[in-house]
Amino acid sequence: MAQDRFTGVGLGLRRPHLEQVAQMDNHGVPFWETCPENVIGDGGRDHRWACAILDRDPVLTHGLAISVGGFDPWDEAYLRDLDRFLVRTGTPWHSEHLCFTRVDGNCLHELLPLPFTRDAARHTIARARELQARLPVPLLLENITYYAELGASEMDEGDFITEVLEGADVGWLLDVNNVYVNALNFGFDPKAWLSRMPLERVDQLHIAGHKRFGAITVDTHGADVIEPVIDLMQWTLARLGRPVPVLLERDNHIPDLDLLLAERARLQTAYDAAMAPVEVRHA
Amino acid sequence: MLETRTHRLQRALASLVLDGDEASLEADPGGPARRQELSQTDQRAFRDQGQAMMTYRELTRLSLSEPLETMFPVLKALLEGADAWDGCLQAFLEARVVGSSQYRDIAPAFLGWLASSGWGQVRWPFLLELAHAELLEVLVARFPDSDPPQDLHDEPTPDDLIFLDPATQVVSYTHAVHRVREEAPVPEARPTHLLAFRNAEGDVRLKELTPVTAALLVRARNQSLAEAATTLNLPDLAPILTLLKDLCREGAIAGFQTST
Repeated sequence: MAQDRFTGVGLGLRRPHLEQVAQMDNHGVPFWETCPENVIGDGGRDHRWACAILDRDPVLTHGLAISVGGFDPWDEAYLRDLDRFLVRTGTPWHSEHLCFTRVDGNCLHELLPLPFTRDAARHTIARARELQARLPVPLLLENITYYAELGASEMDEGDFITEVLEGADVGWLLDVNNVYVNALNFGFDPKAWLSRMPLERVDQLHIAGHKRFGAITVDTHGADVIEPVIDLMQWTLARLGRPVPVLLERDNHIPDLDLLLAERARLQTAYDAAMAPVEVRHA
Repeated sequence: MLETRTHRLQRALASLVLDGDEASLEADPGGPARRQELSQTDQRAFRDQGQAMMTYRELTRLSLSEPLETMFPVLKALLEGADAWDGCLQAFLEARVVGSSQYRDIAPAFLGWLASSGWGQVRWPFLLELAHAELLEVLVARFPDSDPPQDLHDEPTPDDLIFLDPATQVVSYTHAVHRVREEAPVPEARPTHLLAFRNAEGDVRLKELTPVTAALLVRARNQSLAEAATTLNLPDLAPILTLLKDLCREGAIAGFQTST
């Protein structure tokens, strides 16, 4: 299975590191995650480095461009380009966010929360099914951080996510940092929250750093991952009982590559420790 | 078609993050929900979570303004010096012209908005040229790669057409906007012609051109070099051919094609 190539802790491929990564023979990163819209339609030297890496190493794709829960029509040209890109990379799935990013032809370039309502769930399920039918690989949806509920809710976040994932019959990219940040902002136990979620749908994890600003903690992707989030990752992996890939996201205050590789290695050690009992059980 | 509650909630949030008059929104965060004719309970949700809702305003505006601060540092310095940068950003956001989902398209959308709106150009007539010049190198550096035609040669003759590298740009400004810097952001008013291109390593190079050379590089894409030289009253083509050969070697020109 293609998915077997994807275990351990991978890294998001970022522009400042492209040249260095492309020229490294043995970087030790089991897979990269790339954002298709950063590559599609681009050109020049950095683009050539990116393509060299994508053609050489295992790659997962993760998009920001598709407003899955929005109302704007699909960008047909982008979907055609995305189809070709996903086939070229050989990614086993493509992930997008469970949110909306566009309104009336305007892209807000922010992951905005969907209302936790039956109407929004129905709409998002229909859109996710449409999108899935347009992609050459399975679609995963990622849970986002949210800082406020959009309008009066009819259900909680967990029920909304479950309803959409099951209604659309898509996989789950579970961002454990987002769960942790939401737990901080809304005052719940992240493990209890995860315990009632459809973990059998999880195909990939995301992990990242966050930062507190006044009363609100924000998913910044701009700091090292803290121990409680690593613990939540390990707890989730043990609960899953299978080696799903984990992706370390770093989008702000991007450190030098050697520091990021060291951060990845720290998470890989935690990953291996979490998976050791699982491997013994399956031996 | 009747708009759903979900759609109106999304419009209300878009309005809360993009509209001007932040003080009014802070005083009444339920306003955007009310204007979308959402229910009292939805309006209350906006009001009761006012501070958290305003977090979306801050985050979205950060996402949309960051690429502008990165791409237009001199323009930002100029406008900040006149206490006008925030007003410029607000006018841009309220115009709602960022249609592309690609992050790298935000800066070109800003340039397009400056061109169509004319914002600030009575006071700073060079503003659009300055913004264009700041973005020029990035546009050239990231221009999508494509293969040139097969039948190009690299030694120009008077009968040839010029085939520029697809990333190459010949631009003409009324101000020397390529000479400004953050500490001195006001350009000298003088006609300026630039050639922006990628060299073999992918680095962007800028060359200042004479008016005649700039005109020749434009004309000789559709007219033989000899004909273009005649039109431009250039008596001697030999030094031009040498220059064009150098530009071909440096990467600005993909090659030369015999005019048919």
